[in-house]
Amino acid sequence: MLWFVARRVLLMVPALLAISALVFAVIQLQPGGFLTQYLEDPRFSPQTVETIKRQFGLDQPPHIQYLRWIQGIVTRGDFGYSFLNGRPVGSLIWERLGWTVFLAVLTIACTWLIAIPLGIYTALRPRGTAATIVNLVSYLGQAMPDFLLALLLIALVLSRGGANVGGLFSPDYIGAPWNWARLRDMVAHLWIPIAAISLEGVAGLMRQMRAQLLDVLGADYVRTARAKGAPERTVVWKHAVRNAINPLISLAGLSLPTLISSTILVSIVLNLPTIGPFLYDSLLNKDQYVVTTLLLFSSLLLMVGNLLADLALAWMDPRIRYQ
Amino acid sequence: MRRLAWLWIFVVAVVGLVLPVSAADKPVRGYESLGVVAGKQGGRLTMILGDSPPSFFYYGVIDSNLQALSQHLYDGLVEYNYRTYELEPALAEKWTISKDGRLYTFYLRRDVKWQDGRDFTADDVVFTFDQIVTNPEARAGDAGAFMVGGQRVRFEKVDTYTVRLTLPRAAPATLQYMRLYIMPKHKLLPHSVEGGAKPVDINSAWPTTVDPREVIGTGPFRLQAYVPGQKVTLVRNPRYWKTDAGGMRLPYLNQIELLIVRDPEQQVAQFLAGNVGQLNLSGAQFPDLKSRQQAGAPFKVISSRTLFGSPPHLAFNFDARNPELARLFSDLRWRQAMQMAVNRQRIIDDVYNGLAELPGHGVAPISSWYFDTRSFLGKFDLQGAARALDELGLRTGPDGVRQLQSGRPLEFTLTYGTDSAVWPPIATILQNDLKQIGVKVNLQGILSRTLLSTGLSGNYEALLLAFGDQPDPELRKPIWQPGGALYYWHRTTQPATPGGEPNFAAMQPWERQVYDIWETGGTTVSRPQRKALYDKWQVLFAQNLPVIMIAKPMAVGAIQNRYGNYLYSLGVIPGYNPVPLIFQK
Repeated sequence: MLWFVARRVLLMVPALLAISALVFAVIQLQPGGFLTQYLEDPRFSPQTVETIKRQFGLDQPPHIQYLRWIQGIVTRGDFGYSFLNGRPVGSLIWERLGWTVFLAVLTIACTWLIAIPLGIYTALRPRGTAATIVNLVSYLGQAMPDFLLALLLIALVLSRGGANVGGLFSPDYIGAPWNWARLRDMVAHLWIPIAAISLEGVAGLMRQMRAQLLDVLGADYVRTARAKGAPERTVVWKHAVRNAINPLISLAGLSLPTLISSTILVSIVLNLPTIGPFLYDSLLNKDQYVVTTLLLFSSLLLMVGNLLADLALAWMDPRIRYQ
Repeated sequence: MRRLAWLWIFVVAVVGLVLPVSAADKPVRGYESLGVVAGKQGGRLTMILGDSPPSFFYYGVIDSNLQALSQHLYDGLVEYNYRTYELEPALAEKWTISKDGRLYTFYLRRDVKWQDGRDFTADDVVFTFDQIVTNPEARAGDAGAFMVGGQRVRFEKVDTYTVRLTLPRAAPATLQYMRLYIMPKHKLLPHSVEGGAKPVDINSAWPTTVDPREVIGTGPFRLQAYVPGQKVTLVRNPRYWKTDAGGMRLPYLNQIELLIVRDPEQQVAQFLAGNVGQLNLSGAQFPDLKSRQQAGAPFKVISSRTLFGSPPHLAFNFDARNPELARLFSDLRWRQAMQMAVNRQRIIDDVYNGLAELPGHGVAPISSWYFDTRSFLGKFDLQGAARALDELGLRTGPDGVRQLQSGRPLEFTLTYGTDSAVWPPIATILQNDLKQIGVKVNLQGILSRTLLSTGLSGNYEALLLAFGDQPDPELRKPIWQPGGALYYWHRTTQPATPGGEPNFAAMQPWERQVYDIWETGGTTVSRPQRKALYDKWQVLFAQNLPVIMIAKPMAVGAIQNRYGNYLYSLGVIPGYNPVPLIFQK
């Protein structure tokens, strides 16, 4: 087992190198450059363009820029410099990581806590009224983009005279010390992003769970279990659900990178201080080291997520063995 | 209790008698016509920043959010009059210019304090220009503005409150650059060459992680706190050097909060929810908010003509890759025909909701430099345009599309910005109208921020773009002077080597004329003579149509009714900051 983990971790290194090179190359292909947005400013002379290019090392050929960047990561743990912010990339990401992880953990927890029981329920009573309603809502949830739902929720709050239309806090509570009033204010703001981001996930995950469980419930060994007189609870939870949930664990591994990328649009329309909009701005401005670092980070999360999922599977399912 | 109150009044009265408002303060008066009234002290205003400021050091990064923030923190030696846009004293109480226009002497306002209590002196001014602005490594410096005729402008301290500039030759636009913000020498010295640092180190002064107490200016507000990605908080500078007409110290407000909100819809939502006090709008957002105002919402929507703001134009590439199109686009008769096919009134009505006016040519219609060129704009006349194209020998083919001399169809690609409320509808209106006269337009949408670099690369046929207007034409010389760095529609006029002589051989006769006007205008001292020169340029522009100007948008802003003295400000022009006058009712 230890050997398996070690091998997987070692394999990540060349994969990440290849990914970083690919991402860097793609960014170089993007038309325009970091400096194009400044051209109209009366202060921005051609000499300034040259000076800044030299300062940032943009006058070097792309492969040299790339190798220097990699060298910085390996030798100094330095992920480069954000042109836009004039600061090291690492500290910029760190600044935004807290709220990003907080929101992601909350929405992922919400999604799973709602979706799995609903999936089980609708699979056990596939033709009940409640299941039909839940199914209908889940269709809607899958069809509606999360940012649209967010906008609709904002409109709803506005029309009812509310002021919690975006962000995580009212202006007064941003940066204020923690107390009960601030917590209340945050909860009043938090439900919109949680609802908007979770709904799509809940809908998808619930339908997966439902389909898996329906499949398993029709399997021979479930009939056998029932035939030998096992109580219904044991049949459902021990025999059926435990088998049905396996593919979902692999799915969970894939959801780690959503930390960074999946909530970009919601974060923009709801003005959340997360990494998503930061990545978006960096892409638009061709802030190359920020983009490559974030995408690298995202791929790392994907690999780590997959590894964790594999380990969880081994733990959940005695049939799986890693040699 | 009562006695205490009386005692207080007595103390205030005595202090008021003993310490009258210093003679060095600047009273802000003369704006009754703009609706400015006496306000009261106190209150708080929340405004929007479109994104996080990348730094707190104004000369470290060119960034509109940093600029919007900086105007509250810093001052220049001169500033604009809110009404006339003429330069008037700010940190400099007065100035003199020698007859030959080469010697500027600025007499600084006395008793101005930095926000940490230190005196503001000539050392700060010389330091700012010498060590920061003209440092070629400063990313948002302006070294180019202080290179006149290939030589550097010299800055000298005459005494504690007098600064002298010596120019190699007359350059009347220099006064415009004196709006640049003055920085505190005692805080920034360690980042400068004078303080022993490398030239490039100046850019890393005051990053957003700095202790807010380190960031100080002479401005109406000082930095109090920054929550990354969410909010910047500013508090009133009790030592600010301006007073209102009645002698009360400005600013009125105790606090300004700048909420960081990227998305325009979210900005409007925050405004409607009452979380934000003031908001700059686009013409497209105007009808919705105006109808809410009329339905009794507690805010006002204001539109006004302003000098700043960017009028869109339509440019044809004189050097298009297709030689036949290049020849056609260089022909004045083609551009005249195209001007006739531009339906300005419809664009003003439909795209800007009526909140725009007929454009000037390189100068805003309310500027004192403006020459009325409206008669050259002509009327929207598709039949006239069709006749003009007939005369160019562009006959209509069997499919209704005109043909070039080579027999190929007359079609070109129009490049426009997709992420905007104005470019896509303007492009579509042009496409539809031109189709009716047998000209096929293919639309190509790109990100607005790459429009200019696309123009400069020469890789386009026709382009929709806008350049901001400035109070002095000289500030836009790189755009409108043939061979200038941003003269993108005729790139062959560019100098062979940067900074060298432009390619005169490629210029059309009127372009050479315009070139000479700019050269003379840049060194002419007398204002009437400069005005006459720039008048002539505007006429040449309107007649020869290097680009076809479309409309000049108005400024639209909204403010909650609880605030008074709201004058629209674009928010990013150094030297034009009316926020100190805003008060909470």
